[in-house]
Amino acid sequence: MKFNGKVLLTDDEAHIRKFIGLVLKRLGSPVIIEAANGQEAVALYTKHSPDLVLMDVNMPVMDGVQALTQIKKDDPDALVIMLTSLTNRQVVEQCANLGALDYLRKDLPRDEMITQLTQIIDECFGPEDSAPAEAVTTP
Amino acid sequence: MNPTVEPQKPDLQGRKVLIVDDDRLNLRILTRILKPEGLIIEQGYSGEDALAQYATFMPDLVLLDVVMPGISGFETCRTLKARYGDDLAPVIFITAKSDAEDVVEGLAAGGVDYLPKPFRGREAMARLRVHLQNRRLNEDQKKLVSQLSSANSAKNKLLGMVAHDLRNPLATVRGLAEFLKDDGKEGKLTADQIDLVDNIYSVSQSMLEMVNELLDLSVIESGELKIHPKPVSLSEVLERSVTLNNINAAKKGSHIELKNVDLPAQLNIDGPKIKQVVDNLITNAIKFSPPNSSVTVEASQTAKECTVAVLDHGPGIPEGEMHKLFKDFSQTSVAPTAGEKSTGLGLAICRKIVEAHGGTIRADNRAGGGCTFMFSIPQPV
Repeated sequence: MKFNGKVLLTDDEAHIRKFIGLVLKRLGSPVIIEAANGQEAVALYTKHSPDLVLMDVNMPVMDGVQALTQIKKDDPDALVIMLTSLTNRQVVEQCANLGALDYLRKDLPRDEMITQLTQIIDECFGPEDSAPAEAVTTP
Repeated sequence: MNPTVEPQKPDLQGRKVLIVDDDRLNLRILTRILKPEGLIIEQGYSGEDALAQYATFMPDLVLLDVVMPGISGFETCRTLKARYGDDLAPVIFITAKSDAEDVVEGLAAGGVDYLPKPFRGREAMARLRVHLQNRRLNEDQKKLVSQLSSANSAKNKLLGMVAHDLRNPLATVRGLAEFLKDDGKEGKLTADQIDLVDNIYSVSQSMLEMVNELLDLSVIESGELKIHPKPVSLSEVLERSVTLNNINAAKKGSHIELKNVDLPAQLNIDGPKIKQVVDNLITNAIKFSPPNSSVTVEASQTAKECTVAVLDHGPGIPEGEMHKLFKDFSQTSVAPTAGEKSTGLGLAICRKIVEAHGGTIRADNRAGGGCTFMFSIPQPV
């Protein structure tokens, strides 16, 4: 599969954005928009309407749970995947209830991360040459 | 965090004694015996007095007459015991000399000793001294235990925080090293550079494992290991674990094979935690087997339980070291075969996870060489 969608990558740690950015580029040629906290993410979501959001949970200024809530309010169809460092069940469940699609652990080995992201994106956009949702309908 | 205990002082200076007797003469005599030792004395005249005074005076010892108008000494003692439990100061009954039965009933009511009338100064003091010293020792011990347990929980908290904060940067270092050395997609490296990157990768990998194990341990030690069972396909957990671990095993020329899997479609288990156990057993099998080995994972079921076994072709577990396997920070004399690191925590964590599922974990050497690690999880009734 090849993923060429637009991704909003939100994490307050630049090194994480770097790493996950590289992981995303292995999936195709996505356009990556970076945000360093929830507030930036909410603003950039409105501005760019990305196909997919990767959202850290613990961030300064505005945390991921608040940002998720706001983004889902602005766009109920937003596809948001939470980035967690610990599988904290409560947070994961809370985010699922707020409409997050899934979660991804940031401390996974690279290949496992590629595998999991691929699965998630396949589920969202279909396994074929997938790009943004609207492109799926074209034969 | 300074658990020092003051050295035991023989003197009784400042210790508080409550003396309760309806006979004023007895009170006077006892007070005269005890005063010179520097004890602080308060007097009561009835059981009712004793109950009220105990609460405000908080004595270190109570001398209590048995026969008094109103509630008796025994009844008073039972009430005190019910109120203060194990924190109750030692209660010594004042009895007439011949009342052997009184003594028995008094001890049953929660008293620690008795003082026969008429009083003899030195005997009375000797008995009091023993109980006051015991009381002091008891208090010191309680203080020490509470200091130690708060120091321990502070340690666990710190351990958790440190491990948690180290984890993300380490995961990134490892991940970026993987990109750097990866088939030149991020630019071609020379053989020397690849060697450097390999070092960065393997060091960050082993540090990450250590940090993860410390984190698990801090969670387990603080009593927060919680199992969240859900219907899960154990076969799928095994398949995933074997697939992922084969990537690493291949680096050592080894291979993991999953066979003879006979399991119910679903089991009520905490999938991620059980996967952690399987991962750990497989990683160990690879770690302690020579390069180019094969490791087999099997699973079977009986009416009572499901068992997963990991069979390796390593050197086995030395005679007499079997008992070390599942303990914290415990390592056997067997070393990993390719310089891998081991914290000695992995199997201890496995044991705790399996036991939290009501299961068991064990290891055996096989007659033909190699050893088998297996764990069993009970089937739902």
